[in-house]
Amino acid sequence: MEQPDNALEKARRAGIDLDLLDSNLALTYEQRVLRHESALELVLALREAGAVYETPTPAAPEIR
Amino acid sequence: MKPLHLLLQRFADAGLEFVVVGGFAGVLHGSSYVTDDLDICAVLSGENIEKLRTALADLHPVHRITHKKLSFLEHPPAGQQVANLYLETDAGVVDVLSSILGLGGFEALRRNAMEISLFGRRCRVISLEDLIKAKEAMGREKDILTAKELRAIAAKRKQS
Repeated sequence: MEQPDNALEKARRAGIDLDLLDSNLALTYEQRVLRHESALELVLALREAGAVYETPTPAAPEIR
Repeated sequence: MKPLHLLLQRFADAGLEFVVVGGFAGVLHGSSYVTDDLDICAVLSGENIEKLRTALADLHPVHRITHKKLSFLEHPPAGQQVANLYLETDAGVVDVLSSILGLGGFEALRRNAMEISLFGRRCRVISLEDLIKAKEAMGREKDILTAKELRAIAAKRKQS
């Protein structure tokens, strides 16, 4: 396994939020799962909203 | 939508021997990446397929990759060997894999797995070191990035 400082520096350069990792590591396993499930709910809701937004609205019937 | 961890409870209650792998295992190790499926590694014997069916019976499990989304409760028929199962259920997507690239099958994973208590059930989770190996063996960009995050988690553990 590589040196800890090296791994942290590589992660930082890759844009990984190390403070967020600290926050996750302070949680219990169950708390990590619950936090993840909240985040997943949000992702799924945003995905659904995006799909509705991208669905073309049917053209209004022509009035004569 | 029911929570993904419900699937773990169901598998444990059905007496299935399995190891949690993939992104959900990453979450348990402290990863911040969101995954919308659950991956487990298990021996896909006829007996274990029956246990999976028992666990998922009321969750409408279907093979999500098949054209007609065949019901897992009827397919594969008894005696037919399968390497992996890619299922969609009312509690989310679950992949049951008989082996993991770069690591091997259930027995190889179990040797190093950590055993944790999760929502009242005992549960095996792939070790952090094995998960890093698996992600690096996959080699896709997203896996390489995840492996970097997991290496950072390993480093933080060493420091603490």
